[in-house]
Amino acid sequence: MIKILAISDRKNKSDYFNTIFNKNTYEFSCLSDENLIFDMISADAPDVIIIDTQIKDLKNINKKIKNLCPNTIIIFLISANKIDKDLIKYANAFLTDEMSEDFILSTININMRMKNSLEMLSNSNKDLADSLYRLNALYSTSSQFSGTLDKAKLIQYMIEGMDKALSFSLTCTLSLCTEAEPVLILNSLYELSDELIEALKLRTVLNYNSMFDGKNPPVSINSDTLKVVKQIKYPASRFTFSLFRFDNMFAPISLGENTFGCVEIFKEASFSPDDATCFQTIAQQVALPLKSATLYQEIIEANTKLAKLERLKSEFISIVSHELRTPLTSIKNSLDILMSGRCGQITESADKFLSMAMRNVQRLSGIINDLLDLSKIEAGKMDFNFAPTNINTVIDYVKSALSEVAKSKGLTILTNQEKSLPDIKADAQRLEQVLTNLVSNAIKFTPESKTITISSKLAHSKDIQINENFKDTVKLKDGDYVLVCVEDEGIGIAEKDLLHAFDKFAQIENSLSRKAGGTGLGLPIAKQLLEAHQGAIWCDSELNKGSKFYFAIPVTNVLSPV
Amino acid sequence: MKKILIVDDEQDIVESLKFVLEAADFTCYCAYNGEDGLRLAKEIIPDLIILDVMMPKINGYKISRLLKYDAKYKNIPILMVTARSQEEDKLIGEETGADEYITKPFELDDVVNKVKQYLK
Repeated sequence: MIKILAISDRKNKSDYFNTIFNKNTYEFSCLSDENLIFDMISADAPDVIIIDTQIKDLKNINKKIKNLCPNTIIIFLISANKIDKDLIKYANAFLTDEMSEDFILSTININMRMKNSLEMLSNSNKDLADSLYRLNALYSTSSQFSGTLDKAKLIQYMIEGMDKALSFSLTCTLSLCTEAEPVLILNSLYELSDELIEALKLRTVLNYNSMFDGKNPPVSINSDTLKVVKQIKYPASRFTFSLFRFDNMFAPISLGENTFGCVEIFKEASFSPDDATCFQTIAQQVALPLKSATLYQEIIEANTKLAKLERLKSEFISIVSHELRTPLTSIKNSLDILMSGRCGQITESADKFLSMAMRNVQRLSGIINDLLDLSKIEAGKMDFNFAPTNINTVIDYVKSALSEVAKSKGLTILTNQEKSLPDIKADAQRLEQVLTNLVSNAIKFTPESKTITISSKLAHSKDIQINENFKDTVKLKDGDYVLVCVEDEGIGIAEKDLLHAFDKFAQIENSLSRKAGGTGLGLPIAKQLLEAHQGAIWCDSELNKGSKFYFAIPVTNVLSPV
Repeated sequence: MKKILIVDDEQDIVESLKFVLEAADFTCYCAYNGEDGLRLAKEIIPDLIILDVMMPKINGYKISRLLKYDAKYKNIPILMVTARSQEEDKLIGEETGADEYITKPFELDDVVNKVKQYLK
């Protein structure tokens, strides 16, 4: 009901208003005593005050009313068409003595509507400001969340964020993830007694257990041994058990299967629905970076483990190859002495078996060399002597070194070299190793009376055709390359095995080629050696037709300083 | 007759080297650890030393350095036998003074030829 107060000492006016307003269900009163007026206004501010301008001490009354109830509608009752300019600053409307009932009522109603609209506007403005503030707090909290992978900091940011957005009296944060053991962080305005802390511990553990619907929690917590960290803002004052009569909210801090803890918040005034949303949001938001931090930590740990394993592997290979080499040397020496005939005549069949033993000693020492090479490259300990190198010199050397072996198998090695190739920055000895390996493989896998061709040429990366299977692994940078190809007419490689040709021990998996001997380490070593030259290796092959092994080394690298 | 000192903790290797070197008319002295090797080297002042790298107590590099810094012995050629292990690679960066490196497994004939070369 709209409350109207008239201030007038004219009885006829007061009666007139009384009739009108009572008839129209307004709560109307009329006063003329100054003291009574202010007592009434202070006790129960009316919505509308009608002031008769003929009242005594009008100026003073106006001022006081404006101070006491700035939002009340002030209407002055004036003599016809004469407005005192002083009144305008106080007035919302004017009535004259002659005005009809309808006129009076509509004046009041219009002003009431205006007042209501203004109030609504001011309320929504206030809400808007609140939301904006909260949004700001949320925003700064989430940017803090995204800025760190330190779990203790994340939990601290969460508490600070809630402080900014919700201005609580106390938060009870159970964190499972910041230290080796669970810890209860009590962030409080005032100091807490030991009894209250015990009660909060018990309450938090109960809250925590309730998160798992009677199932066993992932980490069981004993309230007796739970570690407590206190953060007190004003230690001079102290909370009592009455804290439990405060309004409170609770939220788990978890993401999917991962539980990082929970948080309960207490506040003397009650929380609004917006407060609840904000609280939930912050508790949910912190879970994601906590999860990332957990994953990050796991990755770091796994990496450290891997690095250690890798080191152990290198050490293992080094030790093993040393331990293998020494007895192998003794075996080889003994065989050498026996085969030289210095210990007596060797029969033909004895020689056959001694040779067999010798061949295998050589094979074994080859394997050990390969293993050592590979472990050195992988550990980044291989030394390269880079110098301007002409690939044709390397090809000529390998051809002359292996043509005897090829001939003994009835094979011919041909070369097809582009003349005047530019020098490349390379370790000639390592390139010989690569090419020797490729040609030896070709000899190994090619049947009698066929040919093996080694070719070289200069080609631009865009003109070099790389087998589809290697599109993802072999990427050549734009520029000129020296391209070498070793082509054979051997047994070839099935398409599905092409990509694995350069995997470690790939050959060992394949029983057919195992007969041909070798460790299966030659190609992976070649690959690593070429990568150290910024080059690449790949192959084309067709079963039972033959294979083409290519490698390319950039020409531009000769210009860069060694 | 030229005197050769063979130092290696692997007795079998010492045995085979001794066999081929004696067959090539050298007198061989053998030591099976670094300490004995060093003592023997100073005692007999051999014409050439074949020295293993990895040995307990004193490794071959150390022996080589000790001898090469001493005017009395610095002209004795040293053939260093290595298994190319990583521990050895770490040491090889230092100045050892060895005249020649022989990688295990080695050809006995190569060793004999190298010895002959140094003692010509």
